[in-house]
Amino acid sequence: MLLDFDRLGALRAVLSGIAVLVGAFLLLPVIVIVLLSFGSSRYLQFPPPSWTLHWYTDLFNDPDWLASFATSAEIAIVVAIVATLLGLMASFGLTRGRFRGRETLRAVFMTPMVMPVVVFAVALYALFLRLQLNGTFIGFVIAHLVIALPFAIISICNALEGFDKSIEDAAVLCGASPLEAKLRVTLPAIKAGLFGAAIFSFLASWDEVVVAIFMSSPDLQTLPVRIFSTLQQDLSPVIAAVSTVLVALTVLLMVIAAFFRRGKPA
Amino acid sequence: MSTTAMAFPGNRAVTRRPRRVSGFWPTSPALALLIVFFVAPLLGLLLRSVLDPHPGLQNYAEVFASTTYLRIFMNTFIVATVVTTATLLLAFPVAWFLAVAPRRWASLLFAVIILSMWTNLLTRTYAWMVLLQRTGIINKTLMSWGVIAAPLPLINNLIGVTIGMTYIMLPFMVLPLQGTIRSLDPATFRAASLCGAGRLQVFTRVFVPLVASGIGAGVLMVFVMSLGYFVTPALLGGTSNMMLAELIAQLVQSLLNWGLAGAAALILLVVSLGIYAIQFRFFGIRAAGEVE
Repeated sequence: MLLDFDRLGALRAVLSGIAVLVGAFLLLPVIVIVLLSFGSSRYLQFPPPSWTLHWYTDLFNDPDWLASFATSAEIAIVVAIVATLLGLMASFGLTRGRFRGRETLRAVFMTPMVMPVVVFAVALYALFLRLQLNGTFIGFVIAHLVIALPFAIISICNALEGFDKSIEDAAVLCGASPLEAKLRVTLPAIKAGLFGAAIFSFLASWDEVVVAIFMSSPDLQTLPVRIFSTLQQDLSPVIAAVSTVLVALTVLLMVIAAFFRRGKPA
Repeated sequence: MSTTAMAFPGNRAVTRRPRRVSGFWPTSPALALLIVFFVAPLLGLLLRSVLDPHPGLQNYAEVFASTTYLRIFMNTFIVATVVTTATLLLAFPVAWFLAVAPRRWASLLFAVIILSMWTNLLTRTYAWMVLLQRTGIINKTLMSWGVIAAPLPLINNLIGVTIGMTYIMLPFMVLPLQGTIRSLDPATFRAASLCGAGRLQVFTRVFVPLVASGIGAGVLMVFVMSLGYFVTPALLGGTSNMMLAELIAQLVQSLLNWGLAGAAALILLVVSLGIYAIQFRFFGIRAAGEVE
């Protein structure tokens, strides 16, 4: 009936129609930006009067933009590594620990995800003013770690809950030390979860803008902050070029993720 | 690492004794990070709302007495409500389609949704700034069709904010809904129609009640996220029609009024966490914040 696509009757056309429209609604803005990045019009005329790579040469010849790319990438990579490590440890405790308030602690670890980011941003900015960490690399890493950690913990906890611990126990019975059993049996078994944790932490940091707006200094700006402050002045087509590069990276990431999902049994 | 959980029968008997704490310490580095750089600064900010510039509740009195601030609260509430309603109306049929359509079409649409969700937030907001501006594609198209004579003001106001935020929130509504619809058992529907229920009746008395938890999760999440949203209102909105997150940022960045900022932050926090608490209560912890 309502769950059988072939027997929906007229509803089938309605649902398909809305699905196509919403798909277009989601996709078209991105496509327009990609096209405009190759368009010659300074004022983003659409369709573009002619095609050019001008905005890309502008972008790649501007040391400030390149520096922001590098800054964002460096911060996100450090955040991905540290968040995965901290998340792995925390997840062991959260899935296997026996202590009072374990479920409460799990909820506590999730709070940065449900908190309005602007509140956290303002609060951390105040603390960092005192610690003089605003505009520093370590400051960005700390801020993004707090935001990324819940994603890492969710991913790794899910993987650990799906792993049969008796396999690890068997390795211990066979003579492995508990640490060895974890390193050589458990970690390889949950590597998809670890990979997911790293990707989500990377993205959480790479895309983060609100905290970064408060913390950035003229010398140290992440890419989103540079885009944001540029957009507050004008809608330069260079932003379209930056955006297209980011969209290309997103597609690449989706392909990698799909590849990993396919490689995973079941 | 929990060495206590080793699989020796004798050992296990010992470790199973209640009230013994094990496996807590691995959580401590993450917990320490959270306490020092999350909990402490938040408490600090909230304390300033009652201590800055001098102890008392004058910041809260000021927030609630000023018509400017009350209007910002109203703006925030209205935009969040409209965005939530719009995303629900769009997302429900889409989620339904995703759950029942032939695999090929469903996964294509799913890929579009994920692509949109993973595309940088600023890229998406920029796209809407370009589309909605005075000389943008939407205004030009409508004018060339003769629908309108002069460009509509679609940007630097709450209309632009609402359109941009609906676009950004849509995936967060679609994903929980399609998960719920996919988990439904077709046998329930067959049973209902065997018992004589018509199509409309099956929809209103079986389908909607069964997906109510998914709808509730999506609605609450989108509403709360919209309440505290900063980037899109800051770029697509105007200076005369602020939302709450912008107010907090402005109080800190331009006015350096930490006391008022703390009060506004506390109000946003109480409302947001209050709504999430309702969600925990009715839909369980799992439903909250679960994106995929």
